Amino acid sequence: MSEPAVEVKNLTKIFSPDLSKNHVIAVDNLSFEVAAGEVYGLIGPNGSGKSTTMKVVLGLMAASKGSAKVFGLDSGDIRARNEIGFLPENPYFYKHLSGEETLKFYGKLCGIKGSELKDRIAELLKLVDLEGAAKRRLGGYSKGMLQRIGLAQTLIQNPRLVILDEPTAGVDPVGSRQIRDLILKLKEDGYTVFLCSHLLEQVQEVCDRVGIIFRGRMRREGTLDELIQIESQTAMTLENASPELIGKIHELIASDAAAKVIEEGHPRTTLERLFIQIADQNKKEESA
Amino acid sequence: MSEPNTTLQSPAREVPLFSMSRVWTLAISTLTQLVRMKTFYFLFAFAVLLLAVGNFNFASSPAQALSTVKKVSFGAMDLFAWLFAIVATALLIPRDIEDRTLYTILSKPVRRIEYLLGKLFGVLIVIAISLSVMFVVCAGMIQWKEMGYIADEIGDSTSEQITEDTRQAILLIQKNGFHPELAIATLASFMKAAVVASVTILLSTFASSSLFTIIVSVLVFLVGHAHTMATNFWLAETDNSIVTQMLLKLFKIVIPNFQIFSFSEGIVQGATVVPAAIWQMGGLTGAYLIVFMLLSLLTFVDKEF
Repeated sequence: MSEPAVEVKNLTKIFSPDLSKNHVIAVDNLSFEVAAGEVYGLIGPNGSGKSTTMKVVLGLMAASKGSAKVFGLDSGDIRARNEIGFLPENPYFYKHLSGEETLKFYGKLCGIKGSELKDRIAELLKLVDLEGAAKRRLGGYSKGMLQRIGLAQTLIQNPRLVILDEPTAGVDPVGSRQIRDLILKLKEDGYTVFLCSHLLEQVQEVCDRVGIIFRGRMRREGTLDELIQIESQTAMTLENASPELIGKIHELIASDAAAKVIEEGHPRTTLERLFIQIADQNKKEESA
Repeated sequence: MSEPNTTLQSPAREVPLFSMSRVWTLAISTLTQLVRMKTFYFLFAFAVLLLAVGNFNFASSPAQALSTVKKVSFGAMDLFAWLFAIVATALLIPRDIEDRTLYTILSKPVRRIEYLLGKLFGVLIVIAISLSVMFVVCAGMIQWKEMGYIADEIGDSTSEQITEDTRQAILLIQKNGFHPELAIATLASFMKAAVVASVTILLSTFASSSLFTIIVSVLVFLVGHAHTMATNFWLAETDNSIVTQMLLKLFKIVIPNFQIFSFSEGIVQGATVVPAAIWQMGGLTGAYLIVFMLLSLLTFVDKEF
């Protein structure tokens, strides 16, 4: 089995805000692994310890107890940061730089130069659909554009692990879908993605495995199927079923004393999908 | 859900112990940031000040007028250099923390000392460019005025031959006019600004606000100008015990002695440059920079964000 991309073992992080005995335990004996190539979501309410865990993995904070490793390297080891691309929540990059200059800046920090850097910038601007805004300063970017240039920045040195903290926070549904599609594209391309979010629907759409953290402790962990399926219930979606057929199904259900219908009706789309559908339709009409 | 084609298999790349290229990237980014914040606009204010001083007829003689222009313009250059060093440096790091830009920078393979040096060098490049421009403008202005005054003296002379009085007057104008040693005075202002910037960086690595950093940096700067006086006063007021000596040594390290740069005022007033003073200034500036950057690293290396 290959080396895990992220390995967090018995991680504890204690803050002492006022140098008194009032310690705050942000992360409490947390252990989990993110396998190479998977999309792992760490979810939990605000203040549950998600961002702290992420910062320890990034080497921005030291663990009070336990350890965090990235591809076998201690998270404090600077070589580990060559393997990581990080997008913080609501990132504010240097507003005085253009999108292209921002990627150039981060690329140079990673030791990429010359034509290699130029090609990589062009490739990433295309990936995040910001070729048209490459020369524009970030001060004029929308929130969704900032998130996308941020995502391009995370990939500049072609890291194996991409860490995203609330990647769609404050982004409208269209921008949110673009970012979700980019995450799926990253997975397709073999990147490992470790994301923190409290937007459960989004996590459900992109993650292979999910950890639920509450007050710094892991409460549940597993694949999406393991976590969300209700073993005692079965759902069936029928198309073009006649009233007669529905009637027969009801009769069958009634013949079993233990079984009962809990819910019945027409499946609904989500507001997000409806919104995107209308936006796409408008776009098509405008371009026609 | 889509399945990965293959997982990326690049091995961990080596990161050099120290990369001047990363420091340079950060320095250029800081320079760009300060330039795009329109910091160079103050140069227009400086040019206006210089024109005003140069054309204001407040001195009784040409030599005095030249001396005044030099004092005011080099004083303004010095003031700009240290004030800019404090304000710009105090704002840069806290802003990066507040905007979380620091997260994305430090999550790349960047060592913290490289980040600090990048910020310091960025500020110093701006100061160096500004001082150079101001020096050239100043030199041009002084030489232009000097030539004008000399022409006036020659023109005022009634005989065809220059009289001894005229010759003396010209010599006096030349003595108070431009001389290349003024570049040393500009260099002293730059070095002083470099030390102030390194003190400010140290303060901003642990200070909770930019305002605190600016105020304390200005205080350190002012106390540093009374270094010898403060040390002598302390020794005279207290017993000369080991504790006093230790505290004095600590004071001498923590508070830089800005009096080492004050010989530049003499240069502006026409005094001769002593090479030993330049070497001492250069050596002490280097030592202060190393000490303050190491102290900054000590407080910044384990800082959690």
